[in-house]
Amino acid sequence: MAENFDRPDRPERAEGEMDFSDEGFGDKAPRRYQRRRPRQVVPDYVDWKDVDLLRQFIPERGKIMPRRISGISAKDQRRIATAIKRARSMAMLPFVVD
Amino acid sequence: MAQRTYEVMYIVDPETPAERIEKLNEAVGKVIEKEGGTVVRMDDIGRRQLAYPIEKKNEGHYVLFEIDGSGQEILELERRMRVNDMILRYITIRVDEDRKKADRLHEKRELRQAKRARFRATEETAETPAETAA
Repeated sequence: MAENFDRPDRPERAEGEMDFSDEGFGDKAPRRYQRRRPRQVVPDYVDWKDVDLLRQFIPERGKIMPRRISGISAKDQRRIATAIKRARSMAMLPFVVD
Repeated sequence: MAQRTYEVMYIVDPETPAERIEKLNEAVGKVIEKEGGTVVRMDDIGRRQLAYPIEKKNEGHYVLFEIDGSGQEILELERRMRVNDMILRYITIRVDEDRKKADRLHEKRELRQAKRARFRATEETAETPAETAA
């Protein structure tokens, strides 16, 4: 299957909004692989103090968004993850939200 | 001696009076200079809501220092911050390497964009005579 990067059949989503609709394992039909486009651009320097940027990668629960959902490169994901962990240790971001 | 850049941030107990916080910040600056470092930037961020309680407190007074130095002053600074009970939490991050990497990335991107712009320019000039012919 050719990869369609521009998917006109998929609705445009607002920044930070996530789609978990294809997350379930109960589906009988085999899940089709979909390449996700990154929804946000990661800057060259990820500042661990930039809470607003990092918040885009933590859904309500407070966990770090996995790469399969954030859609960013592995390198960027690592940088974002360490930045989130640093911000957490300084109580700028929560470890858990319940 | 290798020159490095660090960011040191600490959270001060919000119940301490403002002049004591100021004194503490001054003392931190002095320690850094005594140990051979230089303060690049001092930012008193101020009171901020904590994302989770630390020592039963929900607010904290944040202070950020940017320091150039060898690492010797960090050693001394951390030792002092550890025993100071006004300081709820502190963190030291080495930033020079990540910044250098970011600069390189930025340079590369600019180069690529410049190249692309040049390519586009030549493409357009090549296209125009073809269009007039058709």
